[in-house]
Amino acid sequence: MSGLIGIFAFDENWTVSRFLYYGLMGLQHRGQESAGIATFQENKFYRKACKGLAEEAFKEEDLQELKGNIGCGSVSTNPDLLQPLLVKNNDRSMVLVFSGALVDGNPEDFGSALIRESLRSDLDQAALTVMEKFKGGYSFIALTDGGCMVSGRDPMGIRPLCVGGLGFDLAVFASESSALDVIGSDLSREVEPGEVITTELFSVKRTLLHSRSKTAYCSFEYVYYARPDSVVNGIPVYDVRRRIGLFLAKENPVEADVVIGVPETAVPFAMAYSQATGISVEMGFVRTGRSVRTAIKPTQFERLVGVQLKLNPIQTSVKGKRVILIDDSVVRGTTLRNTVYILRKKGAKEVHVKIGSPAIVARCPYGATVPPEDELIGRALTSDEIAQVVGADSFSYLSMSGLLEAIGLSRNRLCLGCFTGEYPV
Amino acid sequence: MKVLLVGDGSREQAIAEAFSRSVKQPRVYSIMKLINPGVARICKSTAGGFKRGEPTDPVQVADYAESLNVDFVFVGPEEPLFHGVADEVERRGICCIGAKRALAEIEMSKAFMRRLMWKYEVPGRLRFKAFRNIEDAIAYINEYAESLAIKPARQAGGKGVKVIADLQAYLSKEKRDVKTKHAVAVFEKYMSEYSDIEDRILLEEKVEGPEYTLHCFCDGRTVLPMPLVQDNKHAFNEDIGPETGGMGSIKGRGSTLPFITMEEYNSSVEIVRKLVEAVQKESNEEYKGVVAGQMMLTDKWGPTIIEMYSRFGQPEGENILPLLETDIVEICEAIASQSLAKVKLKFREEATVIKCLAPRGYPDHRELAKGHPIWVDEKAIEKIGGKVFWSSVDTVDGSYVTGGSRACEIYAESETIEEASEIVEKCIPYVKLLDGWELFYRSDIGSLSLLEKRRRLAEIVREIYQYREKKNILGRTIDWIPGRGRIEV
Repeated sequence: MSGLIGIFAFDENWTVSRFLYYGLMGLQHRGQESAGIATFQENKFYRKACKGLAEEAFKEEDLQELKGNIGCGSVSTNPDLLQPLLVKNNDRSMVLVFSGALVDGNPEDFGSALIRESLRSDLDQAALTVMEKFKGGYSFIALTDGGCMVSGRDPMGIRPLCVGGLGFDLAVFASESSALDVIGSDLSREVEPGEVITTELFSVKRTLLHSRSKTAYCSFEYVYYARPDSVVNGIPVYDVRRRIGLFLAKENPVEADVVIGVPETAVPFAMAYSQATGISVEMGFVRTGRSVRTAIKPTQFERLVGVQLKLNPIQTSVKGKRVILIDDSVVRGTTLRNTVYILRKKGAKEVHVKIGSPAIVARCPYGATVPPEDELIGRALTSDEIAQVVGADSFSYLSMSGLLEAIGLSRNRLCLGCFTGEYPV
Repeated sequence: MKVLLVGDGSREQAIAEAFSRSVKQPRVYSIMKLINPGVARICKSTAGGFKRGEPTDPVQVADYAESLNVDFVFVGPEEPLFHGVADEVERRGICCIGAKRALAEIEMSKAFMRRLMWKYEVPGRLRFKAFRNIEDAIAYINEYAESLAIKPARQAGGKGVKVIADLQAYLSKEKRDVKTKHAVAVFEKYMSEYSDIEDRILLEEKVEGPEYTLHCFCDGRTVLPMPLVQDNKHAFNEDIGPETGGMGSIKGRGSTLPFITMEEYNSSVEIVRKLVEAVQKESNEEYKGVVAGQMMLTDKWGPTIIEMYSRFGQPEGENILPLLETDIVEICEAIASQSLAKVKLKFREEATVIKCLAPRGYPDHRELAKGHPIWVDEKAIEKIGGKVFWSSVDTVDGSYVTGGSRACEIYAESETIEEASEIVEKCIPYVKLLDGWELFYRSDIGSLSLLEKRRRLAEIVREIYQYREKKNILGRTIDWIPGRGRIEV
């Protein structure tokens, strides 16, 4: 999974590298293992990518060397995916940032096909041809050596992409509206499933894939991936997270003294849960260091380091109390087990775990970083068994109907593959 | 009766058509730089005539008017007014509908207009600085990192305006670079051909909100308002891309727009009226012609002046002129005799939409947009219910060639803005460039989603300016500086 941004300044006086850099910081939650930016000026690409967070990846000199008024960038969960990718065909070249996954193929294949097609036909037609060919859930932004930008979203709209503008000067594309907010750009709208937008000095053109299937928006975007200040598929993410909290309160009520959300994703769940039940919500943890998203950390060791470093419980909030602990999802159960343990150590009398999504039981073929299926605790164990493993007094998931109602879209417009094992393609 | 119409754009076609509807059946003559097919046709059908000439040359215009012995001259565009065409025509004893040079200053010099607003304390004024040399302008930009509108101090055909919001400190350096480079471009490029005013550049506080245009007829005593119109300045769909002279405009049913209240409409009229009074006092002349406030509903003031027009906007004028029910000759005669107060200005109620079609290259690379043969199936368009206004098009040996700006406009009227927009959409395929060069336009103008966006923005802005009104800080900028205390700038 990656977070993408593309910026096109219609006036050559602009240098976009710093806008891309801060835009990537606004997408950092979508991938923390590698970051990269490519810009274009006078027929030349400037490119820099490395492992780590965007903030660490670019120094002042890098931003100055990334010249030009057009560029794209990415943050990724894959430390070895050094985007933007540079693809070549004969003497032509193109840079590409890609988020999500293809059923048959990888981002490099997509890029090679795109440049090959673009030598044969117009850029928008080339993109549509490639999108017809590769099935999957993705969004992408590519930049040609002719100074054109092409952005697109898979026909089912699994991965998000939006477009906005800044004054009379910039067109901005990004995985989430949070990136637009960070650089002060206005959100115009979200790119439609199966839509391609080509941007060049003289035009911004939209083209739609003819054979568009029905949409299958990723439901996990609402539960976990997207930032709560983003709007995804017209639905404010924060609103969904609050509704999830309300449904959790309704579905499996427990008596308790305090509700705590695991930072940061589950905090809105806990606040809404508290409002619905009257059980007070407290700040349960203080974070040390940067926000590390443990579910998308690649190795178990790093995840444990991540959770220990990031979450230190506040004793007063939990000591002698019956605690409802809310988290967004459970993958392997390791971090959850650890979190319950540290609450008990600070004196929590009871710990009731509530998860703001149904059990994750299957892999994601569309780029979400889910471990192999045999490592998914929700696939292997029942709720009661999980309560025992993680050391909780009770454990419950949000129901599927609760999730659907919280998102507010019908089942056939969403991808629920990781919860059901049934995929839209 | 004979009328000489000055100018060769779509606006002039709309004015010519209004004349052709008059019961007085005036013969319409025109002086044009490019031979606009729409204007030329009306000149012929009213048994008038036209000639290729320089509309900005007062002597040429006045000579032509004299030789034809016209009853009055109607000046369409701003540049002839800036060059004193109205002054020369009147000096020859011919009545002119169009502001004299000293009055048109209200549009020509944006610095003059702002100073006037402050001097006469007209509401809707913005803070500004005008500079005559580049060093001072750059020094100011470097000292005050703030959100700015950077404009050529003179009206330069709508070109050279840049608006930069500077709210994120971490992006300030890049924005300052762009501001500085643009300031240089204003001096070296956009203002290079103008020596008729001393100020070169205007740095103005940036405001945000939905824009709209309010046109009025004036006779030196009375200011008669027309229905509101909204133009769309971004080149591409969804308000993205460089600033243009306008890619299309909408007019709601009745006299206001769906996102502007009647109260706001009335205060806008009051602002324009005050400005007209101010410029008359300042110049000691009487304003006889058309004036328009290019306005914005801002959180600072509510209705706010962005710029002034000394004529009909283009394309905005074409949204209302086809609806004009009052005889335009009657209006012109009332302006001449200063009896506009007795005229009942009537417009049909319909909502109207205009979409402009521009050749690829417009707005910033007009040399590419110029010289392409254009084909328009006017019959097919009329059958659908639309109408063509010819804009930047010349007639060369009987065929039509683009002039580099927006080539033509499609107009439609209906019950609602969305319906009118749908009619225009159906007409678009009937305009083509014969050499295969691309024509572009904005399909989103008049759409429900764009209207909804304007309405949302208006609501936010309205909340804030009404709060300011309650707190008695409407239009005021109050700050606190350590060591200096509370100051009002």
